[in-house]
Amino acid sequence: MPPPAPAADLVARAQAGDQTAFRELYREHAGRVYALCLRLTGDGRDAEERTQDVFVRLWDKLRTFRGDSAFSSWLHRLAVNVVLNERRTTGRRERRVMPTEDPDNVVGAQHAAPLHGSAGLSIDLERAIAELPDGAREVFVLYDIEGYAHGEIAQLVGIAEGTSKAQLFRARRLLREKLER
Amino acid sequence: MNERELEDAVSRLPKRIEPPRDLWPGIEARIAASRSWRRRWYWVPLAAAAALVFLLLARAERSAWDVTALAGRPLIGTTRLAASGRLRVGDWLQTDDSSRALIAVGRIGQVEVRPDTRVQLVVARANEHRLALARGTIDAKVDAVPRLFFVETPAGTAIDLGCAYTLETDSLGKGLLHVTAGEVEFQSGPRSSRVPLGAVAQIRPTGPGTPYVDDAPAALVRALVAFDFERGRGGGARATRTILALARPQDALSLWHLLQRVDPSLRGVVYDRLAALVPPPPGVTRRGAIALESRALEGYWTRIQRIHFRIMVLRGVREIDPRTGLAKPRVLSVP
Repeated sequence: MPPPAPAADLVARAQAGDQTAFRELYREHAGRVYALCLRLTGDGRDAEERTQDVFVRLWDKLRTFRGDSAFSSWLHRLAVNVVLNERRTTGRRERRVMPTEDPDNVVGAQHAAPLHGSAGLSIDLERAIAELPDGAREVFVLYDIEGYAHGEIAQLVGIAEGTSKAQLFRARRLLREKLER
Repeated sequence: MNERELEDAVSRLPKRIEPPRDLWPGIEARIAASRSWRRRWYWVPLAAAAALVFLLLARAERSAWDVTALAGRPLIGTTRLAASGRLRVGDWLQTDDSSRALIAVGRIGQVEVRPDTRVQLVVARANEHRLALARGTIDAKVDAVPRLFFVETPAGTAIDLGCAYTLETDSLGKGLLHVTAGEVEFQSGPRSSRVPLGAVAQIRPTGPGTPYVDDAPAALVRALVAFDFERGRGGGARATRTILALARPQDALSLWHLLQRVDPSLRGVVYDRLAALVPPPPGVTRRGAIALESRALEGYWTRIQRIHFRIMVLRGVREIDPRTGLAKPRVLSVP
């Protein structure tokens, strides 16, 4: 089996229009992008759609990547923008209650296998995150999971920095309450 | 669960979650579609430009009429026409004393340009076909709904009402309109003459004269010309009396025009003579006609025109009573 091509090489080839290289980039980053989309949307099917959106957008935008930052960071930022823009475009997101009869659509069930000893808690946490109100969930995911600062979140989501902090506080409180039940 | 426990739980969340199914085929399809669209959009400006050029060319083509030289070498602008060419809006077509040309009037007819004629294409649109006849003679044949074909002359405008006619004019506007099919209206300011087939209208710079049938007695024609164009020389009341005395039933179309042109004090006698020659249809009253009410005039014209058309169309076939338009009974000769 040939060794995987270096990321920079894959990016350069994909920028040149090499779709095979682009597919490799997809294989390499799909899990990270999907995780982000899944947590930001709180819905499995939406997450699939957004993941596809992200990579289609990536194909369009790839030529603008100049290597100023790590490709993965750049892609992550692109993914966040795609998801948040989609929410802004649609204007609202319906609160989705995951149908328990559809196991594939349950956040947490989709990644039960990779979890270790605390799998049960992780699944509960994923589920609880998905059930957070939209605004609180987005801030929580971006701040606590993805490591964005409140200033960045405020800019990305289009809210005041204070609102971001308040949403984070609210999200954490709601999560604790859910996980204690 | 306290804050610390929550942080621990969050930190253990996986950074990657593999999608439950392979999303690549969908991505690939959308990229292909996007490429396809991009290719298409890339061509949109070019396609639009090409379409615009095509439309302009097509419009330019539509705004030009075919011309065929029938004799000699007519001029289009300053170019000698060898066999055929295009007359574009604004172009002048000129024939000398030995050349003739045939102009296709869009798709609705044709105009033969006789020698020593100068004509310009003014408008060439589907809803308006317009020539300017500066001088000379044209023979027009048009097969279209009324008021699609116009010929401007120095004295006024011939408006086609579905017909064939010969129109001649000099550069000052003196000329003649002879209609051989259908009807033409010649308009000059507020004055207009309706000229049906088999009728003629003299034209002067002041406008069209009173039309008359082409077999009208010469004395009647002279009186009409005097009435129309020589009023200062006694063409008014005296000419009117002459016209009324000479008029036959088939000259009703002349009297119908005369009614609107005589001095109001003479309208009564003109109407009475007209009514005696061709009785008015029901609904047309003397008072209404003398008051030049359009309803009365149009009603009367319809009757006169119908009789006139029957006479002309059946000329040589059946003898038509010019008072009623009905065919006269055949007289069988007994051996």
